[in-house]
Amino acid sequence: MAPGGFFGRALVVDVRGTRATGTPLELDDRVLRSYLGGVGLGTWLMHRLAPPRVDPLAPAAPLAFVFSALVGTPLTTSAKFAVVAKSPLTGLLTDALASSQFAISGKLTGHDAIVVRGRAEELSVLLVDGGEVRLEPAPELAGLPAAEAETAVKERFGRGWRTAAIGPAGERGVRFATISHDGRHAGRGGLGAVLGGKNIKAVLVRAAARVRVADQAGVLAAARDLRERSFGPATAKYRELGTLANLLAFNAVSTLPTRNFTAATFEGAPALAAEELHELRGVARNSCASCSIGCEHIYSRKGGGSQRMEYENVFALGPLCGVSDPDDVFAASARCDELGIDTISAGGTVAWAMECAERGLIDEPWLRFGDGSALLRALDAIGAREPGLGELLAHGSRRAAEAVGQGSIAFAPQVKGLELPGYEPRTLQAMALGLAVNARGADHNRSGAYEADLSGALDRLEGGVAHVAAAVDTEDRAAVMDSMILCKFLRGVFEDPFPEWARLLGLVTGWDLDGGELRVAARRIVRAKRAFNLREGATAADDTLPARMLETPLELGSGRSAALTADRLRSMVAGYYVARGLDEDGRVDPADLADLLLEA
Amino acid sequence: MGRPKAALEWHGSSLLYRATAVLARTVDGPVVVVAAPGQELPELPAGVAVVQDPVEGRGPMQGLAVGLTAVADRARGAFVCSTDLPFLHPAFVRRVLRELTDGVDVVLPVARGFRQPLAAAYRTSLAGLVARLLAEGDLRPGMIFQHCAVTRLEDEDLLADGAVARLDPALDSVLNVNTPDDYAAARERELPEVTVECFGALARGGGHRPRGVRAATIGAAAHAVGLTLDRHIVAAVNGDQVTRDDRLPLVAGDSVAFLSADAGG
Repeated sequence: MAPGGFFGRALVVDVRGTRATGTPLELDDRVLRSYLGGVGLGTWLMHRLAPPRVDPLAPAAPLAFVFSALVGTPLTTSAKFAVVAKSPLTGLLTDALASSQFAISGKLTGHDAIVVRGRAEELSVLLVDGGEVRLEPAPELAGLPAAEAETAVKERFGRGWRTAAIGPAGERGVRFATISHDGRHAGRGGLGAVLGGKNIKAVLVRAAARVRVADQAGVLAAARDLRERSFGPATAKYRELGTLANLLAFNAVSTLPTRNFTAATFEGAPALAAEELHELRGVARNSCASCSIGCEHIYSRKGGGSQRMEYENVFALGPLCGVSDPDDVFAASARCDELGIDTISAGGTVAWAMECAERGLIDEPWLRFGDGSALLRALDAIGAREPGLGELLAHGSRRAAEAVGQGSIAFAPQVKGLELPGYEPRTLQAMALGLAVNARGADHNRSGAYEADLSGALDRLEGGVAHVAAAVDTEDRAAVMDSMILCKFLRGVFEDPFPEWARLLGLVTGWDLDGGELRVAARRIVRAKRAFNLREGATAADDTLPARMLETPLELGSGRSAALTADRLRSMVAGYYVARGLDEDGRVDPADLADLLLEA
Repeated sequence: MGRPKAALEWHGSSLLYRATAVLARTVDGPVVVVAAPGQELPELPAGVAVVQDPVEGRGPMQGLAVGLTAVADRARGAFVCSTDLPFLHPAFVRRVLRELTDGVDVVLPVARGFRQPLAAAYRTSLAGLVARLLAEGDLRPGMIFQHCAVTRLEDEDLLADGAVARLDPALDSVLNVNTPDDYAAARERELPEVTVECFGALARGGGHRPRGVRAATIGAAAHAVGLTLDRHIVAAVNGDQVTRDDRLPLVAGDSVAFLSADAGG
């Protein structure tokens, strides 16, 4: 019998021509306990199902929707799912989380994961109804935004289905296209392009099963307690202002990436600040399913309508592109949602192009920092893969820089091909390490080392041994939260996280586990991601930052400068390898491979 | 004074704490305190190093030799000051250091009518010269200047810098404390005017908008806006280090940001 909270099987769906067939893949207790679910289990599935060196956009490349033991329980913030695949942007493993009812219904199809392979003959939707799968042609959905596609399939197939869909950019293979559900996005790494590569516009799931938990009363009591704690000070920021609260604070501490990382403060920040917008234009606050925090803050748009705004989309489409008019940023954010593209990669790639244009490296004289109209025009060109600039930028900043040459790779804001989030590495040097070594590429959700930088506990301007420890620890915590799965906005309510998480997981699964076992699982998951990347050709040379970050110091308001040299970063990376038990080239010790349970 | 100057209380810490913390937030390189043999030092800010002077009774020249030697492998130039400068301003330090260009060995302010060898910038390569002069029995700092290239900065040179003119117009940076009356007068001075901003969940009711307060330390600035630094609340001065150290000294013109320790995510 499967442990509580699990079904003990994945559904592997093979799409070919006009048909889809589903095959169960048994997931034994050892695999589930070793990888926990979510991102961890998805990583294991990629090892098992992705052919080595497969083209991420090829039919053979698998895409996994992965659930977890906690999904469907009353534990707050647990209605989340992971989407895992080989990224068309990085060529390495990518995983993204999204929230809401798709997670619950997807799991209650009776599977801990749904893996999709193959390619449909024409644009189609894939329906998973319990153990039954079928493919339905849907050419009428071509070109629709994901939200409109969701509405259309609801009308066509009736109620009871939950839908994850892609926008037009995913259909066209934009390498940073997203998969969306209910206004939430599995955003990073181009998962929408992977689904688009299968000619699948949407995946629909319908619940058909129930799942048992080991200790129903215990889970209910824990859920009540966690819900109560979720109303406390540790989540106040998310409730009161949302993640956009970061913007003005980051500006004040010189870590708001501006104009393609040429500065860390932005004179236009106050106009984009949550503190201002909340007073002037805040209209609503929403929650994901099964969430008691309610972090989504909705703002009114000039001319009507509203838009959900988060720090990352405002940073990327605002300061990073030098744009300070909130209506331009709102419009750009809405355009990204309509096209179905990752706002961070979109903003980063356009910001790089703006700098190229200003330096005369590309012949697009209209593309200038600070021009909101130019930003929108560039986004449209990307979404349509218009010949010229659109086609160039649709591949992300790394590939675009490789095409443009002329030294532009030095300021392409990416690691491993994934564009940097809104955390300036030179003024957050624990985070700099986290960004450099993370398997997904430059990422703030799989490595939260900025917490240490902003805690006041270490010197954020001079990375060293303490920063390595912080990067490892936050990466471990992220690995567990993303696998079991709980929203990271809840992280502050756990005083002693690993033992507390172990208790929650034990109540659901029936496993007798402790915090130590979860720490081991975290390290295993991180190692398994790295092992996958190594298999796909990654090397230690990928664990770095753009040359700009390592060669150009930033001037601070204090008169001091923030410098992160290549030597310092290399030293921290070396320390990270030691802490992770890797060899000096960042490779997994062969003795550890058996622990990863990768043998078929 | 009756007590070691370094340990004199200064807004919740000590004169030495203030001097070293001001330097640490001003320069990019290391900050080193030279301790006399057997000298007990008050608590120092995190990251400030102590080197022991092995020889007693040879005055500031000996301290200069030890200090320059201690940082010579990490810095080409150093700002050198005594512990009893309660109004030392970063703008003054930066002005002096900026003059330490190629070919210049010492930048010597001549401020408020006096040479200020203990509020001056020195090439760390002078360590050998200073040691030689000491070995020859020369204990006066002024002797160094006869053997190297010195740039003097008069009041008008210092005040030509906009930041110094605005933030330290009377050149109080070089005002030292030699008597109990000096100390008492210094403590009576009006506190520096700084700007405070609060962010995120700390910014309820428009609190993110800049406010002017008078405060000598971050802790006092926090108190002025109803906050206490703890594991949930941190601060940064002028966009620099994030800190929970409520004793960190403030100077006129500072901008202090208070933010939740869970910023990010």
